[in-house]
Amino acid sequence: MTSPALEVRSLFKSYDEGRIEALRGVDLSIAGGEYVAITGPSGSGKSTLLHMLGGLDSPTTGEVRFRNVSLGSAIDLDTYRSRNVGFIFQAFHLMPTLRAIENVQVPMLGLKPCSFDRAARARDLLKEMGLENRKEQYPNQLSAGERQRVAIARALANNPDILLADEPTGNLDSVNSAKIMEILIGIQQKRGMTLIVVTHEDVIAHAAARQVRIRDGKVEA
Amino acid sequence: MTAQLSFIGFVRKNLWRRRLRTLLTLCGIGMAIGAFVGLVGFSNAFEQSWLRLYTSSGTDIAIIQQTFLNTSLPESATAKVTALPTVAQATPMIYNVMDLTPEVNALVYGWKADSYEFESLQFLSGGPFHDGQPEVMLGELLSGSLHKKTGDTLEIQGSPFKVVAIYHGGSALETGAVIMPLDQLQQLSSLQGKVSTIHVRLRPAPAGEAPDEYLKRAQAQIEAALPGLRAVPAAERAGNNQFVRLAHASAWGTSSIALLIGILGIANTMAMSVFERTGEIGILRALGWKRGQIMILIQLEACVLGLGGGFLGIAVGWGALQLLAAMPQTAGIVSATLPLPLVPEALGISILAGLIAGALPAWRGAQLSPVEALRHD
Repeated sequence: MTSPALEVRSLFKSYDEGRIEALRGVDLSIAGGEYVAITGPSGSGKSTLLHMLGGLDSPTTGEVRFRNVSLGSAIDLDTYRSRNVGFIFQAFHLMPTLRAIENVQVPMLGLKPCSFDRAARARDLLKEMGLENRKEQYPNQLSAGERQRVAIARALANNPDILLADEPTGNLDSVNSAKIMEILIGIQQKRGMTLIVVTHEDVIAHAAARQVRIRDGKVEA
Repeated sequence: MTAQLSFIGFVRKNLWRRRLRTLLTLCGIGMAIGAFVGLVGFSNAFEQSWLRLYTSSGTDIAIIQQTFLNTSLPESATAKVTALPTVAQATPMIYNVMDLTPEVNALVYGWKADSYEFESLQFLSGGPFHDGQPEVMLGELLSGSLHKKTGDTLEIQGSPFKVVAIYHGGSALETGAVIMPLDQLQQLSSLQGKVSTIHVRLRPAPAGEAPDEYLKRAQAQIEAALPGLRAVPAAERAGNNQFVRLAHASAWGTSSIALLIGILGIANTMAMSVFERTGEIGILRALGWKRGQIMILIQLEACVLGLGGGFLGIAVGWGALQLLAAMPQTAGIVSATLPLPLVPEALGISILAGLIAGALPAWRGAQLSPVEALRHD
C-alpha cells in the first residue's frame, strides 16, 4: 500500500498563548492525486488546516507528514513549500511591480539558476493558461480572472506535487469561477497532482472526489 | 522587452516603485559620500602638497623635536648636522600659519638666505631676500589674493615688510605662502634661536648600499648626534606632521558623522519598505522563499541604494574639490583632480553603509511569519 501524499495526525493549533484553538485534534489522510475540498463555516479552521498542510505554519502539537516524512523535522518547511507545494490565494497576491511573466518566475528564483530557463517555463505556463498575449501586462492591467490564472501559473512554476487553493474563486464572478475550477481540475487530472481546495461554495465542494468538513477545529465525521 | 526576471531586476523594480523615496535616500547618502570625497580628498591633497614640498627641494630627512608639546628645536643643531659624513646640506626653518588680513591667512616660512630650498622656487619677479632685513617673498597665488606686487609693503602682525619677489613654488604649500628671513620670523614668533625643523639633503648613497639602508643609517647617525631629536624620512614626515594629522582627523571625523546620517537615512527607507511590503514578504515565503533569500533581497536593495548614493557622492565630491581649487583661500592646497584611489574607497564605504543600514530591516523581514505576513494586507 502506498503511503498517502499528506497525512495529519492529532493536529492541534492554537494562537495567543492557547487562548484561541483553531484546530483541535485533526486526523486526515489524503492520497496522491486526490482532489479534496475542505468546507466548513467561517472560523472553523479551514484555512488554518490548509496552512498546516502547506507548511506555512507549524502545529502546536501533532504532526503533518508528506510522503511519510514529518514536516518541520525531517524536511525543512521552506524547502517543502518551494519544491512540493503550489499556493493559490483568494486575493491572488501577485507582485504589483512585476509583469505577468515575471510574477510566474518569482518562485523559480533560487531554484532555477538560468534566467532563460525560468522565462521559457513561465511562457509555457502562461500559454497553458491562455494568457500568452497578456504576459507583458502588470496585475492592475489584468481582469480578476486573468490575475487568478497568472497565480495558478505561478503556483505550477516549480512542478509541485500538491496544489493548495484557499477560496480560489472568492473574488470572482460565476463565469470566471467556473473557468478557474475547470483549469484546476484539468491540471489535477492531467498531472496527477493532489488538489486541496478550501471553499464555502457547494458547487466546488461537490465537484471534489472527497469533502472534508471542518467545524470548530475538528473534522466532522 | 526582456521577459527574464533576475534577482537584481527584482531589486531594481522594488526600489523604482517608490521613486521619490529612493531618490531622497540616494541624495542623503550621496551628500555623505560627497562630504567624504571632498573632505578626505582635500586632506589627501594637503598631504601630497607636503610631500611635494620635500621632493621639489630634494629634502631627504626632516629633523623634529621628539616630544609632542615642545615642537621647536635649537637652531644651533644645524651645524652639528652639517658636519655629519652622510649629510650634504642642512637648512633650518620655521613654519607657521598667520593672519595677513581679516580674510586671508597663509603659511609663513622662515628660511636662511643661503637655504637650498630656494632651488625649488621659480622667480616671477624680483629676487631673494636678505637675512636680517624686513623683506618677504610672496607665492603667486597669495600675491593674487593680496593684490601685492614686487616693491609693495605687506604688514604682518603690525610690522611692515617689503615684497622683494613673487615666486612660483614646487608645491602648492609654497605657492600660497609667504617666505621671509628666518631671523624675522623668529622675532615675530618669539622663537629666537629656535626653529620648527631642520631639512637635510643627504650625500649620494655609496655604491653597493641600498637606498633604504643608507637612509636608515643616516637617520641613526643624526639621532645619535642630536639626542632628544628625531630624524624622519621626508615621505613619512609628509603624512605625519601636525597639520596633516589635523586635516585627516577633521576630514574623517566630519565625514563619519555625515556617513552616519546617510546610513540612518537608508535604514529608515528600508524599515519603511519592509513594513509596507509585509504582505509581499508573506507571499514570497509562501512561494517557498527561504529566510536567507528574503534577507539577501532586502540587503541588496540597501546596497544598491548605498552604491547609487556612492556614485552620486563621488560626483558631488568632485564638484566640491573643483570649488575648493577655485577659491583663493584653498587653491594653493588642493588640486581640482579627483584622487583616483578615493573612488574605490568611496564606493566600498557606500556599499558598507548599505549593508549596515539594511541589516536590521533585512533580519526583521526574514523573521516575519508567512501566515501573519499574508494577513497583513
